[in-house]
Amino acid sequence: MLLEVRDLHVEFHTRDGVAKAVNGVNYSVDSGETLAVLGESGSGKSVTAQAIMGILDMPPGKISGGEILFQGQDLLKLKEEERRKVRGAKMAMIFQDALSSLNPVLSVGEQLGEMFVVHKGMSKKDARAQAVELMDRVRIPAAKERVGQYPHQFSGGMRQRIMIAMALALEPELIIADEPTTALDVTVQAQVMDLLAELQREYNMGLILITHDLGVVADVADNIAVMYAGRIVEKAPVHEIYKAPAHPYTRGLLDSIPRLDQKGQELYAIKGLPPNLLAIPPGCAFNPRCPMAQDVCRTDVPPLYEVTESPAPRSSACHFWKECLHG
Amino acid sequence: MAEAILEVRDLHKHYPLTQGILFRKQVGAVKAVDGVDFDLVAGETLGIVGESGCGKSTVAKMLVNLEKPTSGTIRYKGEDLTKLSPRALKAVRRNIQMVFQDPYTSLNPRMTVGDIIGEPYEIHPEVAPKGDRRRKVQDLLDVVGLNPEYINRYPHQFSGGQRQRIGIARGLALQPEVIVADEPVSALDVSVQAQVVNLLDRLQSEFSLSYVFIAHDLSIVRHISDRVGVMYLGRIVEIGTDVQIYDHPTHPYTQALLSAVPVPDPEARAHRERIILTGDVPSPANVPSGCRFRTRCWKARERCELEVPLLAVPAVYRLADTPARHDSACHFAEEKQVVPPEESLAHPDPLADGPAPVEAAREAAEGPPEEPGPDAAPPDEPGPDAAPPEEPGGPKTL
Repeated sequence: MLLEVRDLHVEFHTRDGVAKAVNGVNYSVDSGETLAVLGESGSGKSVTAQAIMGILDMPPGKISGGEILFQGQDLLKLKEEERRKVRGAKMAMIFQDALSSLNPVLSVGEQLGEMFVVHKGMSKKDARAQAVELMDRVRIPAAKERVGQYPHQFSGGMRQRIMIAMALALEPELIIADEPTTALDVTVQAQVMDLLAELQREYNMGLILITHDLGVVADVADNIAVMYAGRIVEKAPVHEIYKAPAHPYTRGLLDSIPRLDQKGQELYAIKGLPPNLLAIPPGCAFNPRCPMAQDVCRTDVPPLYEVTESPAPRSSACHFWKECLHG
Repeated sequence: MAEAILEVRDLHKHYPLTQGILFRKQVGAVKAVDGVDFDLVAGETLGIVGESGCGKSTVAKMLVNLEKPTSGTIRYKGEDLTKLSPRALKAVRRNIQMVFQDPYTSLNPRMTVGDIIGEPYEIHPEVAPKGDRRRKVQDLLDVVGLNPEYINRYPHQFSGGQRQRIGIARGLALQPEVIVADEPVSALDVSVQAQVVNLLDRLQSEFSLSYVFIAHDLSIVRHISDRVGVMYLGRIVEIGTDVQIYDHPTHPYTQALLSAVPVPDPEARAHRERIILTGDVPSPANVPSGCRFRTRCWKARERCELEVPLLAVPAVYRLADTPARHDSACHFAEEKQVVPPEESLAHPDPLADGPAPVEAAREAAEGPPEEPGPDAAPPDEPGPDAAPPEEPGGPKTL
């Protein structure tokens, strides 16, 4: 297994109290696999990713428990120096907003080349040549001429390609893409997702795709982990989950999106609001919004029940997953 | 069809690009909106879709008079808004209200919800006499599904979805006939989006509103719209009913746009033919000659460079009785089904092995449209030459 997150807990200490952003997350990704982490804002999907990358702001953040095993090694036990060698070289991250992730006063060539200068000790000239090659690889036209240009001279889609190039620079084994196409238009989104999928195949990388878009997930993911209030509520292969969700939250999400190929009547809407992380409801965090909630849901936190073991493992954190699956 | 409540003709908005500090001279223009025509019929929802920079928000702002058009007319019940006196304009504007995209920045953080929703009454006191306002605001809160007791709270005490409800309540305050909603749900979480979309649906029937619904999310636009206009670089390239646009698109841009939308159905992965456009949208300051989509179009030929295609029913379909018969601004308009019909996907048979389901879907996608109803004639029946070369006039309401 390339990456294994075990029982990860992250909290933020704020003036108003302790916000429990991640409450015992378990997931794993293998080489060549695409795991989609699906969730709404505040579900803890990005915080988990930041903890894996080691770029969590601490304080106010604090990893209060768990392990992050990368190729068998617990990243949380490494010193910052050792961690830095892993970050960028072995795992890299692509952020949502390419414009604010790039430095506006450095040319893209300098920023791409920096990876080689810092990690591989290359000369600036060699690094620039590498930068051109990278830009070619992510299909930026006229890379040679554009390598000296600044981020604002590129369009949104091109900037996101530069971010991808930067992530790929040292040929990492794991890429975490946090909402990589959310800021892009659909036609450009399709280009960028295609590129990402192609490069992943080419390098046989593990990919963690963090998104709230059920459409993007259906297009590219192998497996899905659905997060709610800092926990994984359902984990399944992509085909299974869309066919028959085993958690009422997943079901609600799937029912609440309008479809391109049909004009529905009224949309199903999940009632209520996502919970406040300072005061997560006792029992199952989803119980105040759940149409199936019973007394036990208000008192007992549901464990991740095993739904099926083979051919692909599938699990759901709902006391009534059977009813949900067949209802 | 009922009468048009809004008629937009040849609408332009050009922002001048100037050079020099002391002697500013105009060196060009950003053509944000460059000739847009459409009608809005009373009680209907017209969706406008397009990518960022296509001018859809600028159109919205001109409809509610937040921007002055460079040229063109906007008629509300026959009155041209661009030529009205300030006093007459104020009276008309009451009837066209706007709901903005970002519920976080479109509400003043220092005003209570009651003041925000009641502010329109300061400008149009005839709608609600002073003593009556508080009750009206509470009614509005109730209508949009918020607790009327929240009237003294501030925007930061509400979640994104609730704030958007406040924005909608403010839009409704003056009992308008038309609501222009610019990306009203894009900033919201998926589970909250559906609540707001349903609210907009309900309010429409309750108050017989007409909507201009602007969004980049094609699935939501289909859900809520009766008719849809697709914009590209300042112009509408195709307009028609939701079935015409989504199931029978004839403009290559619409086809590419639809095929690029990720469908939340992994089974569709194999069935879907995707058209991936190359490159980016050109700058509106430097619009390509002829057809503005030609730089990204796989069908582009010489004619597209020389001749601007008009928004009209393509000659091939002019006499045909098919859903492909709707306005499309392409010289080589041709129907192509890019969204697989739902029958082939609704019940994918996981047990059927091999390529059988894929074959079936492809056949369904390429074959003649299987629309229910008597008017489902094969699309290509009349020869293309039979169509008279009549010059298209203004836009048609379909």
